[in-house]
Amino acid sequence: MTITIASPLVLLALMAPVVFLVRKVVVLAAVLTLLTLAAAAAMIAIAPDAATAQLLSLELRLSPLGRLAAVALLATTGVIVADVWLDEPAYNFFPTALGVGAVVVAVLLLTTPLATYAVLLIGLLLPVGSFTFQIHRNRSVEAAIRHFAFVSLGGTIGLAALALAASLPRDQPQSTFVLLVVVLYVAFALKLAVIPFHTHAALLAAEAPATALALYFGVLTPVTVIAFVQILTQAGLLPSLLQLAKVQDLLLGIGGLSAVGGALLATGATDLRRLVVCSVISDLGIALVGIGTFSGPGIVGGIAIALATGASATQQLLAAGTLERRADGGPPRAARAPLAAAAFVAGGIGLIGAPPVVAFPGRFYVELMAYSFATWLGAALVLATLLLLIAQLRVALGLFAEGLPSWRPERRPVAGIAGAVIFAGLLAGGIAPDAFLRPIAAFAEEFLRALRPL
Amino acid sequence: MVLLAAVALTTLLANGATRLRFTALAFFAVSISANVIAAGATTAAQVAVLAVAGLAAAGILFISARDGNYGEDPGWRLWVATLIAAIATPAAFASFRTITGEAVTDLPLFAADSGSVVVQVASFWLLSSGTAILVTARSAVRTSLGALLMLTGVQLLMRYAPGPQLELTIAVAWVELVVALTGAFLIVNERAVRE
Repeated sequence: MTITIASPLVLLALMAPVVFLVRKVVVLAAVLTLLTLAAAAAMIAIAPDAATAQLLSLELRLSPLGRLAAVALLATTGVIVADVWLDEPAYNFFPTALGVGAVVVAVLLLTTPLATYAVLLIGLLLPVGSFTFQIHRNRSVEAAIRHFAFVSLGGTIGLAALALAASLPRDQPQSTFVLLVVVLYVAFALKLAVIPFHTHAALLAAEAPATALALYFGVLTPVTVIAFVQILTQAGLLPSLLQLAKVQDLLLGIGGLSAVGGALLATGATDLRRLVVCSVISDLGIALVGIGTFSGPGIVGGIAIALATGASATQQLLAAGTLERRADGGPPRAARAPLAAAAFVAGGIGLIGAPPVVAFPGRFYVELMAYSFATWLGAALVLATLLLLIAQLRVALGLFAEGLPSWRPERRPVAGIAGAVIFAGLLAGGIAPDAFLRPIAAFAEEFLRALRPL
Repeated sequence: MVLLAAVALTTLLANGATRLRFTALAFFAVSISANVIAAGATTAAQVAVLAVAGLAAAGILFISARDGNYGEDPGWRLWVATLIAAIATPAAFASFRTITGEAVTDLPLFAADSGSVVVQVASFWLLSSGTAILVTARSAVRTSLGALLMLTGVQLLMRYAPGPQLELTIAVAWVELVVALTGAFLIVNERAVRE
């Protein structure tokens, strides 16, 4: 049997139902899930550059960005799976994680926009099962229904826009294609929960388990951003965007609004999970501004922010889950779980985009491009960063408000170790940013070629 | 034109149903009418995939009801959703239809037209109705119905998209199935919370 670039995708998709069957034997399900994720990531990491394969009649192609994002997101999923196994056993989580892994790989490899979008939509619906827990004690079912409604609405509108864009002859009025791009953008905004489409995310943050939130905001959200730019590139819709400057203003306006609005909401966040989700919404806004500048550095920065934000959000959400469980209903305190608290604070550095972590160069590029586009836009992004800094500092001070009786780590410091692993990855990327940014730059070049074809 | 009326009527039936089992049956009728309307642009393999997807989605919703009484009474939302769909369909058709140099004069009574006017109108109607139902839904029952109607509309639009048609039909059929399964999961959980 030959190993092709389709192999990791097929492996993940086939193992998800297998793990579903054995899910109640938690150890077996967890080990199988971790081994599958590791095998899939290894296959992608060692695959030759620009490897291609056919799945039915759909073409798969491994781009440098696809390789980077697939390995990073599968590794993040692995960290979440390990946390669920060792710290918060939930047997339904393992097949969901494999399903999400398959979706991540499929989205990054597929070259047909409609197929990419359909697979993404399936992926965004998969965690709904993990969002609901202890349904008689909380509003997790209501939160899951609201998420289902937003994703279904955004997903189906986007699919319709893509199907129309593909079926319409190219001699149609340009305004039709511009309108379709706007519809597609709104569809992605609904799925990404950027402001003003964020209400379902706020309820999810309050009611869903931290690990399910980590899977959604840490893995699926970054892949949605990448899918957005990939689909725009592959669908041939980009040149029509240049016909109307107001469309670019709309993209930048929604991005800027989400950046500042998310950061404002973060400053008022009353619990740890809400702080993380609002910070992610703000960072996604900054990423959308980067993409909306239609410039090389902006696109590189936007995608880099999305990937780094996913990793940092995972780190903070896992730590938040541990801190809340150890608090026994009281306010979360570092004294109960010092390592988890340290992981939470370190994750905040990533979400702010402060040096030396890899999130910094991305944010620097986007803010630079935003200033060159309009002073008010650059100032808005700097304001968003400052507000996020205040929000994270406020919560960090609250965590350590009672001091630390001792520096001894908590028993079973799973979230702390998971946070340390993620932070080490982000730090390594910050020390050698070229390895992280070069594959994204290769994609940005492709995007710009599609924007202004010769 | 008769087929278009069939799509509209079955959509209204699904929209107005107060019992989930009736909603599921009406959705299956919508799915059949939509497939018949675009039969000219569909291969036998695609028809098979679409029929199975429609039947499976309707079946999942039917089973998730668990008894004949469960459902969501749309109340005034039925009229709001219908009004929104009635306004949005011509607006969407005017904005997004395929513009050709020739005027469309031949719209047969019992078959689809040679162009794509009837199919496009049917898909915009389904998308508008689905959106209106989704936006006004109070529970997982009508949320699932809205999403499934919209996906049926998407399947119609996709018939004219170039590319691997069968694979794309299968991909969207899977989306339909996942939406129905997720909807059913939420319906069961929602009912458990209420009871």
